[in-house]
Parts: sequence; C-alpha cells; structure tokens
Amino acid sequence: MAASDAPNGDVLIRNAFGSVLAFLILLLIGVLAFSIRLFSVIKYESVIHEFDPYFNYRVTQFLTKNGIYDFWNWFDDRTWYPLGRVIGGTVYPGLTLTAGTLYWFLHSLNIPLSVETVCVFTAPIFSAFASWATYLLTKEIKGVGAGLTAAALLAMVPSYISRSVAGSYDNEAVAIFALIFTFYLYIKTLNTGSLFYATLNSLSYFYMVCSWGGYTFIINLIPMHVLLCIVTGRYSSRLYIAYAPLVILGTLLAALVPVVGFNAVMTSEHFASFLVFIIIHVVALVYYIKGILSPKMFKVALALVVSIGLAVCCAMVAVIIALVASSPTKGWSGRSLSLLDPTYASKYIPIIASVSEHQPPTWPSYFMDINVLAFLIPAGIIACFSPLSDASLFAVLYIVLSVYFSGVMVRLMLVLAPAACILSGIALSQAFDVFTRSIKFQLPSLSDHSHIDARDASSEKVVLDDTIKTDKNEDTPKERMTKRSKKKEKEPVEKPPTKFQIKKRLSVLPFEASIIAVILLVLLVAFYVVHCVWAAAEAYSAPSIVLTSHSNDGLHVFDDFREAYAWLSHNTDVDDKVASWWDYGYQTTAMANRTVIVDNNTWNNTHIATVGTAMSSPEKAAWEIFHSLDVKYVLVVFGGLVGYPSDDINKFLWMVRIGGGVFPHIKEPDYLRDGQYRIDSMATPTMLNCLMYKLSYYRFVETDGKAFDRVRRTEIGKKYFKLTHFEEVFTTHHWMVRIYKLKPPKNRIRGKNKKSKSKTSSTTTSKRKGTRRNPF
Amino acid sequence: MSKKLIVLFLGLVPLLCTCFSPDTPSDRRVLVLLDDFAIKSSHSIFFNNLKSRGFDLDFKLADDPTISLQRYGQYLYDALILFSPTIERFGGSIDAAAILDFVDSGHDLIVAANGNASDLIREIATECGVDFDEDSSALVIDHSGYAVSATEGDHTLIASDDFIKSDVILGSEKIKAPVLFQGIGHSLNPSNSLVLKVLSASPSAYSANPKSKLTSPPSLTGTSMSLVSVVQARNNARILISGSLSMFSNRFFRSDVQKAGSPTKHDKSGNEQFVTELSKWVFHERGHLKAVNVKHHKVGEVDEPAIYRINDDLEYSVEIYEWSGKTWEPYVANDVQVQFYMMSPYVLKTLSTDNKGYYFTAFKVPDVYGVFQFKVEYERLGYTSLSLSKQIPVRPFRHNEYERFIPAAYPYYGAAFSMMAGFFIFTAVHLYHK
Amino acid sequence: MARSTSKDAQDLFRALWSAYSATPTNLKIIDLYVMYAVFTALIQVVYMAMVGSFPFNSFLSGVLSCVGTAVLAVCLRIQVNKENKEFKDLAPERAFADFVLCNLVLHLVIMNFLG
Repeated sequence: MAASDAPNGDVLIRNAFGSVLAFLILLLIGVLAFSIRLFSVIKYESVIHEFDPYFNYRVTQFLTKNGIYDFWNWFDDRTWYPLGRVIGGTVYPGLTLTAGTLYWFLHSLNIPLSVETVCVFTAPIFSAFASWATYLLTKEIKGVGAGLTAAALLAMVPSYISRSVAGSYDNEAVAIFALIFTFYLYIKTLNTGSLFYATLNSLSYFYMVCSWGGYTFIINLIPMHVLLCIVTGRYSSRLYIAYAPLVILGTLLAALVPVVGFNAVMTSEHFASFLVFIIIHVVALVYYIKGILSPKMFKVALALVVSIGLAVCCAMVAVIIALVASSPTKGWSGRSLSLLDPTYASKYIPIIASVSEHQPPTWPSYFMDINVLAFLIPAGIIACFSPLSDASLFAVLYIVLSVYFSGVMVRLMLVLAPAACILSGIALSQAFDVFTRSIKFQLPSLSDHSHIDARDASSEKVVLDDTIKTDKNEDTPKERMTKRSKKKEKEPVEKPPTKFQIKKRLSVLPFEASIIAVILLVLLVAFYVVHCVWAAAEAYSAPSIVLTSHSNDGLHVFDDFREAYAWLSHNTDVDDKVASWWDYGYQTTAMANRTVIVDNNTWNNTHIATVGTAMSSPEKAAWEIFHSLDVKYVLVVFGGLVGYPSDDINKFLWMVRIGGGVFPHIKEPDYLRDGQYRIDSMATPTMLNCLMYKLSYYRFVETDGKAFDRVRRTEIGKKYFKLTHFEEVFTTHHWMVRIYKLKPPKNRIRGKNKKSKSKTSSTTTSKRKGTRRNPF
Repeated sequence: MSKKLIVLFLGLVPLLCTCFSPDTPSDRRVLVLLDDFAIKSSHSIFFNNLKSRGFDLDFKLADDPTISLQRYGQYLYDALILFSPTIERFGGSIDAAAILDFVDSGHDLIVAANGNASDLIREIATECGVDFDEDSSALVIDHSGYAVSATEGDHTLIASDDFIKSDVILGSEKIKAPVLFQGIGHSLNPSNSLVLKVLSASPSAYSANPKSKLTSPPSLTGTSMSLVSVVQARNNARILISGSLSMFSNRFFRSDVQKAGSPTKHDKSGNEQFVTELSKWVFHERGHLKAVNVKHHKVGEVDEPAIYRINDDLEYSVEIYEWSGKTWEPYVANDVQVQFYMMSPYVLKTLSTDNKGYYFTAFKVPDVYGVFQFKVEYERLGYTSLSLSKQIPVRPFRHNEYERFIPAAYPYYGAAFSMMAGFFIFTAVHLYHK
Repeated sequence: MARSTSKDAQDLFRALWSAYSATPTNLKIIDLYVMYAVFTALIQVVYMAMVGSFPFNSFLSGVLSCVGTAVLAVCLRIQVNKENKEFKDLAPERAFADFVLCNLVLHLVIMNFLG
C-alpha cells in the first residue's frame, strides 16, 4: 500500500492517499448508513411501515402504473368519500417521483424489482446520500476530517434512523438529504461565489420543496444567516451571489410545485426571504457606492442613501405587515404558528394537537434521539467560533434554530439531527486534532507516522472484509462499528498535521493527558455507536403494522391489521365505504383498497369531526350519520385484549374534542367523570353508551368472563349489551381490529302493542324513520 | 291425502324454478291456511276469483303438521293467505318468525282476523305495524254506520265506505257500494310510513265488547281506527291485514247492503270489488314499478364515462315500467325527479318523458368536485318505491384544461419574452465587446 | 441647512458620476441591461396595480423574469469586475458561462410558469 511511501514526505502522494482513503471511508459510511437501517427488514420483513408511508406507496403505485401526467391530475375518489381528494395538488411529489424514477431506472436496466421493494429501500439509500451530503457540508465548514466524522455520526444518528429505516417510506426520508444538500450548495456558493453553484442550489431547493413541507425551514434559515452576516459586517459579493439568485429562482421553482403554488409568495413563511432580499440589495448598493467613492464623499452619501433605503424598507415592512394582518390566520398556517407559539395548536386546532409527533419533546427523547451529540454540540459551537467564517456562522445559526424548533415539535428533532451531527463532528475532529498533535510532538515523529498509517490501513482492510461478509451476528456489527468509528477518529489525526506541522502551534498538551483524553473520547464515541445500533435494532425498526411482544412463553406476533385489511379486501364489495378514525385511512385505502371517509391527510376538519361525532354518539345517531355517508362498514382498533395502548379508546377523547369543535352537542365533560377519563363502572352514561365504547367492548366479556381491559387496567363498566344498529362481521385473532357492518333499515316497522320481551326495541325502531336527519 | 300431496308437489316442481323474480313479480303459488275446510267453501268466490287470475291455491289446515313454507332453503310459495284467525300454534315448521321471514324475503301475505283472533295472529299483525284492539272480545261497533239488515239487528255489522283515495290500490273504478265488515278494529302508528289505512272506521265507530256494558272509554274510536290496512315493506313485499274474515265470505259478497241513515239500498255489497282489487294490489298485479337502463353520458357522446369533469354537460335517462299482471307496461308520470347528490342534492331535475316509459333530462355538472350519485327516489302512494343510485366521481380540471393566453396577461408574456430577447442581445453584445 | 444638504447632494452626484464614468464599458453595458430589466419589472407592477392580479402566475413570472434577469446580471457584473479582488481566480469566461446557464434555467422555469 501507499502507506510505506507516506513517511518519505512526498506531499503529493500523501494527498492522493488521503483522498483515496477519504473516498473509501465515505463509501463505507454509505454502506453503514444503508445497512444499519435494514434491521427492520431482517427482524420483520420487507414491508411498508406505519401510516403515511402506505399512502406514499399507493401514490407511487399509481405513478408507476399511469405515468406522471395522470399522477399530476389524479383525483382520488376512494378517499374522503364523498368529497374526494385531488392528490396531484395536495401532495409533495418529491418522494414519489424519486421512487418512481428509481423504479423506471431499474426496470430500464431489466432489474424487475417490485414497487414495494423500491419504496422500502428508498429511505436507506437516501440516508447514505444524506451522510455524503453531510460530509460535503461539513467539509465546506471545517475541512475533510470534520466532514468524515460528521458523516459517520449522521449515518447512525437515531433520530434520523427513526424516520428512515427500511420501509419507512416517508417524505422526511429524502427531504433530509435534500435539506443538507441545499445547505451544502449554499455554503459552497458562499465560499466560491460561483453562479453555477447558485443554480444548482436553487435546483436542490426545488427538490426540497417537492419533497417536504419543511422547506420553509431553509427559506427562513438562509435569510437569517444572510441578515446575520450583514449585521456582523461580513457582507461580501459572494453572499449576494449566493442569496439573490436563490430567492428568485427558488421562489419561481417552488411556485411550480402544485401543492405550494402561490403560497411561495403569498404566505408569511416566505416573507422573510423577500425582506432580506430587499435589504441585501440596499446593502449591496451601499457597498458599491462605498467602493467607488472617496471616503469623504461616502460619508455624505451614506446619510442620503441610508435614509432613503430605510424609508423604502419601512414602507415595505408596512406593506407586508398590512398584508399579513389582512389575512385571516395572519398568513401563518397552523403548523407553523404552533412553531412560534407552542400552545397555539392545542388551543385552537385539536386535530394538529392530536398527533403525537406535534407535541413538544421530553428530555429523555433528546437523549434517545441524539445521545452524546447533545453534549458535543456546545464544543462544536465553540470550535465554530475559532475562527469564525461565514460557513461556521451558518452552522451555529443552524444548530440554534433547530434546537429551538425541535423543542416545539418532536417531529422537528429530525432537522436538529444533522445540525447536531455536523457540530459534533467538528467538535470531535478538533478535539482529536489537538490531542493527537500533542501526542505527535512528543514522540519521534517519523516512526509514529508510519505506525499509525500502517495500523489504519490494516484496520481499514479488516473493516472491508467484515462488511463483505455481512455477518448477521448481533455482536459483530457492533464491534465493526466501533472499529470503524475508531478508525474514523484516527483518520483526521493523520492528515491535519501535514498542514499544521509547518505552523508550529504552541498549544501542546501533556502527553499522558492527551492519551487519556483520546481514550475517553473513543469510549464516548463507542458508547454512541452502541446506542445507535441498539436504537436501530430495537427501538425504531418496528413497522407498527406488525407488532411483536416478548413474554415468558416466547415471542408473540400480532398481525391483526393485515388480517383485517385482507378480510376487507376479500369479503366486501369494491365500492363499499369503510369508516374508521382517520389514523387508519391510508392503510385501508392502500391495503384493503376500500373507500374511506377520512384519512391521515386531515385536510377537512369538518369531515373528520363528523366521524368523531359519530363515534361519540349513541348507536342510533351514529347509524344515521354513517348511513348518510353511505358507510357500509365501521372499523375500530381495540387493544384491550392484548394490551396494545394506541387503540381507539385511548384516542377517543380526541374524537370527542374534534367532533365537539364542529358539532357543539358533543361535549367533552359528558365523557369525563370528575375530569377523569375512565371506562370502568364509574364512567358516565354518555361514555358507556357511545358507539366507540360499544363497538370496542361488544362481547368483550366473553373472552375472560370479567371483561378486564389490559390497556386501561380495569374492568369495563358495561359488560352485557346488544347492538341494535350494527352487527359484528369480523374480529381479528387478537381482537385488535373489529369490523362492524351497519344493519340495513328494518324491512317492516313494528306496531306498538306490548310484547314484554321486545318493548324497548319496538319504540326505537318505530321512531327511526321519523327522526332520520342529515348531520350536515 | 298424502298421495294427493305428492301429486301436488310434483306439479309444483317446475314452478319452483320460477320463484318470485323482479321480471315477473306476480305471485303464482299461494298457500292458504284455514281453521277448517268449511271456509274453503264459504269463501269460495274469493278463492275462485284468485284461481281464475292464474293463482295456484294450496289449501291446508293451519295445524296440519306437514305444512312448511320452505324446503332446502327455497320457498315453496310466493304468497300466504292466513284465514285462520283462531289458530294458536301452526302445524309443521311454521311459526310467527317463519312467516315474518317469509315476508322479509319479499313474499306477500294476507291476514284476516275476527272477533276472537288468537295471540299468534295478533303478534304477526303487530310485527307488521298493525295493533289490534287488545281486548280480545272487543268488536267494532258503530251505532250510526251499521248495515241495515233483516237478519242481523246487531250494530257490529258495519257498512263502511271510507276508502283510501288511491287508484293504484283500489283500482280506477270507484267502489260504489259500502263494504260490509264485521270484526275487530286496529290502530296504526301515525309515524309508521309503511302501513296504510285502506278502510277506515266512521267517526262514530268504536271498539268494545258488544255483550258487556261499556265501563271505561274504548281504547279505539273514530276514524283513527282502521278496519283494513295494507303494508308495503321496504323490500316491496305487500301485506293485507283485515280485522274481519267474513269480509271475504260469499255471504258478504252476495249480500245486499244499506247503510243506516242512507236512503239508497245497493243490491250487492262492495266487498267483492273491494277485496278483488285489493288482492290484485297485494299480489303485485298493480303498482309494481321497475326502473331499467339507467344511462348517463356527456352531451354529444354515447358511452358512459367513468368520471365526469366539473362543468361537463351530461344527459341522464332511465326507463320505468309498471307490471300489469302479465306484461311490463310503460309507466307514465310527470313527477319523476333525479338528484345529482353529494351529501345534499346539487342538482334536482324533473325528468321529461316520452310517455313510453323513457325518462330523460340533461344538466350541467356543478362546479364542485367529489363523488356524486345520480339518485332517483320515487315513492308514491301505492306504488313500489324506486330507489336508484349510481355513483359517479366528478374531477376538477386537468392541468392543461385551464384557460390559456388570457388577454389581460399579454403584457406579462411580452415582458418575459422581451427579457429572453434582451438576454440574447446582451449575450451577443457582451461577447462582441470582449 | 437644506441649502447645504442640496449642495452636498449635488457634490455627491457629481462625484458619483465622475466615479461611475471611470467604469469600463462592458460593465456599463451590464448596467444598461440591468436598468432595462428593472424598468420592465416596474412597468408590469404598475400594470398589475391597474388591471388587477388575475392571471397571477403570469404576473409573477413576468415580474420575476425581469427581477431574475437583473439579479443575474448584477452577479455577472460583480464577477467580471476587475477591481473586485474576491474573484481574481475566477475567469470571466467561466463567469459568463455560469451566467448563461443560470439564465437558461431561469427562462425555462419562466416559460413553464407563464401559461
């Protein structure tokens, strides 16, 4: 290997060797990023996970079957019955188009992978891309060493893994790559001042806009950075070139995406960029005039230009404020408003607040999701300040903003993760830099060099071998990862010295302290790696469509969801409508191919409220609501038998709230006993008579004779009852999904003559016809 | 007897294949359950009338242990006549639930009760929405509307002429003579939309035991009391419930009638005409509609599209026929309406007709997208209810269906193109200058 | 006070003018081009204010095409300006090629968005 040549001091070969090594390491990081996300496929199977991915999967199927124009104009009549949904105009097409392109590309190469396989593996592939983009970005900020470290950290940061395991086919999977890559191109443009990169930057921004609603983060972060640069007196022509074309081209390109459209110029999330666009022009003009005038004349000019410029700015600000104030929600959409005011959503929009990923995170979730990086971030910030460049300023701003946003919404932890990785990468790399330099200055330099290089090369080889073997043993990957990360930390060790040796830095630490510090750092990183592997293998690989549980008598697999959807698709008519709470809408359309009333898109609050009202109403009223929507089947998810906590009974209060928000006769206090939500014998009669309770607990007492609910850990309040308007048609093996059919209206209407046994039913049925009403 | 049964059964075998179908809704095989065979002769006019109209009557004693309505899951009969008011338990496999299932699967039923109707008959009636007077010994008494008769000085024989005003149910020919009725009255739940009072009691009638003195106010009085009612179930099965079995008897058919206080004396009571017309309705010889050939397409096209676009012009047509007992005749009406419905009707149009059963209209799809339905809900007194719905999605414009080249936008087009031209000129100048 | 201000302003403009006349001709051409673009944009905004913003996409693409052209030209001007030391190592030909690429992308998008 070239290692033996290196000590000869041939700088050229050393550099060549360094870049080859860096390339190899990047390749391995890519493999690592891809393979660490395959735990879900290995432990479970190659399935699409959760809820939203099922929709994306269905859309991708449509795209690959019907082509891009039909996809663009797709009016979906199988969801949101009877309103339908214009898919082409309400979906971020980036992910779908990416997977579709991948699929077509593979098929043109005669690799006949199914759409599902492509979808399952899109996320891991893009996380490899994302780690490479991280490398590029960090390299622009702090050099190759930091870049490699950051890329390795990102490849296995749990927060990102949680959204990009194989099968988690969601927008974020590709969006994080687009996000980092856009930032990279921005920094690259900033560093080079090349219009070429500026163009690429806007195209990359376009891809981001296509992929995820989180693009507003970019279009707010970059103007903030520009403003910060201007305020701190770091304005340069490069800044102008990096920013101005991005705003114009980016806005135009964003407006091309149907789901964004005119929002790109009409909503206030984008106004910051226009404001800064004006400011940067004023500043550019000022700098220009300053450049061509003598300092004396400039002082005179300054007074004039600045006052005029300020006046113009004030006018603009006034206009913008007027525009914003005139729009009903003050121009901010609900999700963005809840960013600025965390209490906004829970106060006004229960449908946003009801989603768990819109809740603020707890402290343990930080430790869970970014682990030791949380402690390295401050060090990274400090490293960024010495010396401070435009790029490192950007990194600092990025981390500060993303920490704030992640504190508001769990979901945005995902935006924090790359920032944390970049800064931790910088911190780690700098720390190793300092320590190993200290070690090196106190050792005979030549022998040490060859020693390290040789060892590195050999460890490299070992890693390669290991990867090729792809040992599925639980221990080996851990070990392998540890080794690789060790090597990674060492890698920056050996390159910066070539640069710094000449400069003869004075900051030399004691030899022993350096050694100990290096060991401690390696331990820290090893701990991180172990945590990441654990998170990838245990915490985040469950597909949530198939559940497992370990108990004394072995592993239990709960495949009830697919059982229920398969039942629906085989036993019901193609045009039958299935009502369920909106969480299961995407899955029902994708897996059972049946029309649903509401789904996870949640674009029409009234419609969801109608379903919520039906679920919280007594049987008869619910029957009428469902009947008016042509519903044939009602699907409820019930976890009381096996202890599956996220079932419909636990979500029920949200149904009441959302329903009550539109139909005021549903009142939340009616369902609570002294402010407590309970389903035992102390529950309120309204609760015990509502449809959700009845459908969940119908015949439940027949299972164990006591009707003990394992989720709520109590015996239910009303055990023996009959359904009058619904009939049970299917209950899955573990009772997790129960499907009911609406009974048709009675063929005859009974008279009133007393027949003691059926007295009650006669009164209800004879009244039914007269009181039928439309809930709208 | 048993041999005869077998022969009868063999005779029925070919008929089994043609059970009640929407194409020929008339009933052909009728089971008649009697208290005793005397009724067969005492009501022979009614039965012969049915036979002459092509019905196959199978007379059985109600407690005959061999009777059954269905065999191997197939119903053996298309209709059932219960002339057994006193039966407490049917023989064979029949009970109240079996009879109601018979109705719920689309078959017709005639029930006649009388003064001492059994609980079983009452229960069947109640299940169909008819509540007989609970006092088992009560009869309908009318001291001013009774039939003047030489033999019976009793005011329980009523001459009633308070018919339902429906040509569909009672035929187009007016029933001139009053109908003789002797039996029990019943009440209907006013909110029950399926049951109709065909023959009401007069305002002075009440229901009580004629033999005992009236101690408390009678529970059923006046016009709210019904003597004969019909039910049309949601599946269009038809039921006739009469409080009087003797209404169908030869004696009442032939009897002359004079209503008390009325100077005219009719030679013949209206019973025969009334019962015959009513039985025609019950056995679907009248008032049975069917709708076929629901078609819709864009104006100028023939094929039915899978999806419409907003603001499309479309044509809708449907053919409606009425069963005449032998053939399907075109149904003529001017009040058939179609809705274009999504949670509420967006378009409501009365269909034009060519008087040959063909109904059509044309309208514009509203400017709303969603999953719509063409709905025809036709419910008229006496007719079977027509409820057609056909689902059709309506999509918004495609991306290339919007207006283009708007004149107001020409300056913008000009500006954009001038910028492109400017770019070329500038490129040339810039390069040349260098 | 006002007198001195206007005198200052006069001095200023004179100084500005003299400084500006020293700029090379190719930069002046770019400036002319920028002025043309900005002027066209202003005309469109005025037109929109009079007629209303109905074909909003056309308006947007019209104005943004002008603003975009101007911005890109300014970028080019910054890069080819020989006095600007930041871009010493960037060849003017390279800068111009980038500029052309950028413009092509811009106008493609505009064409897409115009109709």
